[in-house]
Amino acid sequence: MARLLENSVTRRRFLQVAGMGAAASVAVPGFLEACAQSANAPSTGSPKPATLSLYVAKDTARPQAQAQLFDMIKAQFEKENPGSSFTYDTYASAGEETTKLETASAAQEGPDIFEFGSTLVPTAYATGSFEVFTNDMWNHIGGKSIFFPPQLTMSGPSPDKLIAVPVSGNPWAMVHNKAMLQAAGISKVPTTWNDFIDAAKAMTNGTDRWGTAMAPADGFDPWHKIWLFATQMGGQLMDSTGKKGLLDSNESVEACAFWLDWMAKHKIAARQDAAFKGADEVRAFATGKIGFSVMAGPGGIGTWDNSPVAGQYEYTLGPTIPYGMSSLPSGGKPAQGFVSGQYYTLFKYSKNQELALNLLKVVVSPEIQYQYFNLRKQQPVVLDTFKKYPELKQGNWAALYDAALKAYPTPFFAAWGPLEVELGKAINKIASQIGISGSYTMTDLKSALTQVNQELQATL
Amino acid sequence: MSIKGAAFRVAFAAGLRPWRSHRSAFPVPYWLLSPSVVPLVVIVFIPMVFAIYISLTALNQNTIGNWTQAPFVGLKHYLDGLDPRGPLAPSFYTSIKASVIFSVATTLFIHTIGVGAALLLNGNLRGRTFIRAVMLLPYIIPTFVNGILWRLVFMTDTGIADQIQAALHLGPRDTFWLIGPRSLWALILADVWASWPFIYLMALAALQTIPADVYDAARIDGATPIRIFRRITLPLIAPTLGLGIALSTINHFNNFALPYVMFGPTPPDEVNVLPLNIYVNSFITFNLGLGAAMSVVALVIMLTPAVLYLRAARVGDAD
Repeated sequence: MARLLENSVTRRRFLQVAGMGAAASVAVPGFLEACAQSANAPSTGSPKPATLSLYVAKDTARPQAQAQLFDMIKAQFEKENPGSSFTYDTYASAGEETTKLETASAAQEGPDIFEFGSTLVPTAYATGSFEVFTNDMWNHIGGKSIFFPPQLTMSGPSPDKLIAVPVSGNPWAMVHNKAMLQAAGISKVPTTWNDFIDAAKAMTNGTDRWGTAMAPADGFDPWHKIWLFATQMGGQLMDSTGKKGLLDSNESVEACAFWLDWMAKHKIAARQDAAFKGADEVRAFATGKIGFSVMAGPGGIGTWDNSPVAGQYEYTLGPTIPYGMSSLPSGGKPAQGFVSGQYYTLFKYSKNQELALNLLKVVVSPEIQYQYFNLRKQQPVVLDTFKKYPELKQGNWAALYDAALKAYPTPFFAAWGPLEVELGKAINKIASQIGISGSYTMTDLKSALTQVNQELQATL
Repeated sequence: MSIKGAAFRVAFAAGLRPWRSHRSAFPVPYWLLSPSVVPLVVIVFIPMVFAIYISLTALNQNTIGNWTQAPFVGLKHYLDGLDPRGPLAPSFYTSIKASVIFSVATTLFIHTIGVGAALLLNGNLRGRTFIRAVMLLPYIIPTFVNGILWRLVFMTDTGIADQIQAALHLGPRDTFWLIGPRSLWALILADVWASWPFIYLMALAALQTIPADVYDAARIDGATPIRIFRRITLPLIAPTLGLGIALSTINHFNNFALPYVMFGPTPPDEVNVLPLNIYVNSFITFNLGLGAAMSVVALVIMLTPAVLYLRAARVGDAD
């Protein structure tokens, strides 16, 4: 050591050694990773006992119910697979979900099973980090035919390239406050947007009672609504190749204008809604302040059943005839909502794929599927569950069942994520104008949509 | 004999060796530095080199599974964002503007409040220890909790801000703070509240190093408190404040958590700060190449206050 310190070490020598160290720090992990991959080949025999890892969406509304459900799944899984178990980690935001997806894909290392929302499945598919299910794999968990057919449309780009197993559904329907509707003298739930506007106006007093609410500041709500209106008008938000954004098309502009006019022109939604997020709309309905909530999923049920509107609200199918029209235009679709729900995917680099399939088999069993409904108020996706438990098609859940059947898939493009963000930016901007000044101009709206479409195009 | 040759002779006579010998005689510091240099290289420089590389590629959801093979696109992302005619230029420049205004305004406010508070509590004040502890509370509250608190404060109609404003007849009760132009003020206020104790702490530490007899001498000479502050206090704490300005500008420019919690991934233009824009591009829309390019530009921008401070403080100079 003394010799080392005494001997002269020039700057050049020092940099040479440091450079080799830095190079090694980059190369060695890559080498080790390459070695590890060859050992990760899926087993073809019966699975060895192991502890699986899951990365799932956090049920922020009912965290205890989620824990209870996972306890039930674990008990069943451990019973069927002696010596094996699983642990799960949760994410509470889309940002966490995508960050984990990115890091796992880049490192080729991560949980055995990922849960994704339906609109992120195309992105997950694009990464190439998830196993495409073979017929044998589907058969292992009960076959494709056990699922609610629309849900599989978001499992992959085509029936032979499915990567995602549906685990729960999130159908969109319209919910209304029965007492408010009755007080306004309305006996029939509107089926056209003209009737909807009239009914909402009748319920509005302009101070503490409004026909409906909006959530333009939400990260997701804007594209939900604009997609619905544009689809009913015969438009699309992106062309069929997925290479061209259509956020500035006539249908898109009209769809945006119709929604924003709820605040600006028809005044059936409060100006304060300009700063609303989705949860604010759920709360507004819970306090009996609004009559309609459009494109509401079953997520609000837990809140509303413990609020002044408990027993006073009803889900129905929403209007499908565009505003100002008496029937669907050419190319228009009677959409209620898009196929939505949660999906489990199998990480390609998992060492426990067969065991993971055993777990998926437990999750899609009718008994566990029923608990998604019973504990978490989510819609099951396995057909046998609906046969075995009739309450899944009764009361408010009957409308949600119909809505799920009539759901349309969104295009299976990975670029849907950027589209959601860009559309949200434009809506947020114009809604802010309305919130502050009470109005907006079509020129401003078109300009905002042209700008975000240009930004979207740059990423395609 | 040339002047250079004479200088060498004088140097040898004085026991000094020329530069080349001097260099090889001091190898030890390099070895002693290596425990900190190696982690620095691994943790900072290698990722920075990766970021620069990624900024030149089309790394996105389609290529991340095999990211080393992501197509090379050269300066495309930089041109998309920086060229005024580029498709992403409006968004990019809006973010740079938002970040600069936010960081400069916040730095200005927290220095005024922080130095003021430090001057107040530097003297003999009853309950000084307790007040000092209370003043640190905003600083120790986690940023995301701070964001949620201020979001509630600024909620339209129901938030405390609107209610106070209406009670004092300063404005309507349905003023929007979380959307539109006022969102910038909401963000600045929330950040000032959380970060002024940092400057207060630095200023207080600097004030406590000033010997009391300097002030005594000034008072004997008849200096007024304002003159004492201008001629003695301020010059003596200026180096600390300079460091505070540099660190504060950099920290606030890079603040991601607060705007994200207060406004979400689709914020109003006024508060769409660069870190938020980078996050959305990188982790929401999966355009990692573009996000990396924006990060490199942010790094270059952030070097400005750092270099200005180093030059002003002449850090590293032997004398």
